[in-house]
Amino acid sequence: MRLLLTTLSVWLLALLASANAAPEGYVLPLFTEPVFPGQPDWLPITNSMVMVWLSVAIIIFFSRIATRKMEMIPSGLQNFVEWLVESVYNFLETLLGSHLAKRTFWFFGAIFFFILVNNLLGLVPGVGTIGWDYKDAEGNYVDYTPVLRGGSADLNLTVAMSLTFALLWFYWAFSENGTKGFFAHIFAPKGSFSGVMFILLVPIFLFVGLLEMISIAIRPVALSFRLFGNMYGGEQTLETLMTLMPKYLAFLPALPFYFVKVLVSFVQALVFMLLGAIFVKLICDHGDEHEAHH
Amino acid sequence: MIHVLADQSSTLEGIFRTFGVHWAYFIAQVVNVILVIIVLKVFAFGPIQQMLEQRKARIAEGEENLKRIEQQLAESEATTAAAIAKANEEAQRLIEEAKAGAEALTEQKAREASTQAQQILAKAEAEAKAERQRVSAELKKEFGRLVAQTTSQVTGKVLSDDDRRRINEDSMAKVEA
Repeated sequence: MRLLLTTLSVWLLALLASANAAPEGYVLPLFTEPVFPGQPDWLPITNSMVMVWLSVAIIIFFSRIATRKMEMIPSGLQNFVEWLVESVYNFLETLLGSHLAKRTFWFFGAIFFFILVNNLLGLVPGVGTIGWDYKDAEGNYVDYTPVLRGGSADLNLTVAMSLTFALLWFYWAFSENGTKGFFAHIFAPKGSFSGVMFILLVPIFLFVGLLEMISIAIRPVALSFRLFGNMYGGEQTLETLMTLMPKYLAFLPALPFYFVKVLVSFVQALVFMLLGAIFVKLICDHGDEHEAHH
Repeated sequence: MIHVLADQSSTLEGIFRTFGVHWAYFIAQVVNVILVIIVLKVFAFGPIQQMLEQRKARIAEGEENLKRIEQQLAESEATTAAAIAKANEEAQRLIEEAKAGAEALTEQKAREASTQAQQILAKAEAEAKAERQRVSAELKKEFGRLVAQTTSQVTGKVLSDDDRRRINEDSMAKVEA
């Protein structure tokens, strides 16, 4: 029954989306666009921004309803939201351990749900397809700007999330290791070496540390472009597929990709959170030292 | 060096322009991300995690209570078992005492009965002996009278008291012999 309902919902989504398809010849641009025609550059209201606000509003709405009357024996929405939160928390706990999970869950949990809601909202009919037509004086189509654009398909948002994570990563890394411990973690030889071996290994580990620093610098870029690329690519694919058939059958080629996109939405949210958690784990992990102490 | 930096800067600027990364948009999105994090922390994760912690504490407390109750039950069972064992022991002792008392009583009663039976027997024997003596005396008297009467009738003589006495004595001596 659940499978049938899900399938029907996706069919309906695809059908509605095709009914609202963008003008012929329109290609979703790589960049986000201002929502209102003639909007000044300094006013940061873009079509992806509207989607982000929408997702924030949805998250706030459900959070408030679910946590308004918390009961010891949960039911309904409270039960569902608790299940979601607890599942993500337990997943992070198995990865990071109890201490780090407690410290970092507020960020990783928020990022996971935020990306997930944004990705899924990108599938709602009208996103990328309802907008302003720009025509010339003779009434010919010149350009089109969608009012809504998937939040994750805007590099501004993915970079904002990645850089926020990068700053927090430094904060957690320094607070867990201390300044000396942080640099030792990156540059110091791993394992217990002494004498000549230590002297020989120092340059190698300094080089490895340098590579590690480059890797750390690249992480936010990789995180932001991975998410952006997947979500933008997905939307682009759906829109392109919809142009392959006449308007009211346009949903047919895109239909299988709606299922894929639902899966990708979840996977990408998970990947962002998972990679972030792994990066934190790598820098804050004291496993060897603890073993050495014991 | 400056050239390299300038080249990189222009490359980066080109990438930003291509992907529409704009300072105002970027800052606005950072604000959005921070807003989402704060909102979720305050309205969702905070209360939910607090509730989960409370529930965990409640479960732990329940488990603790269960353990305590089980311990109390075990203690109570042990106390009950000890009380039952003690009661059994006491009952056994009472039974032993009762048995011992009953045996002594039985012995005493048997002794009394035996004594009483002996007394009855002795009395009966004495009575029987007295009766026999009485009957014997009566028989002797009757026999003497009959002998004297017979003698008187045979001889046709009136017997004096001395005769009667002598005849009696003679006949009795002969009977007894």
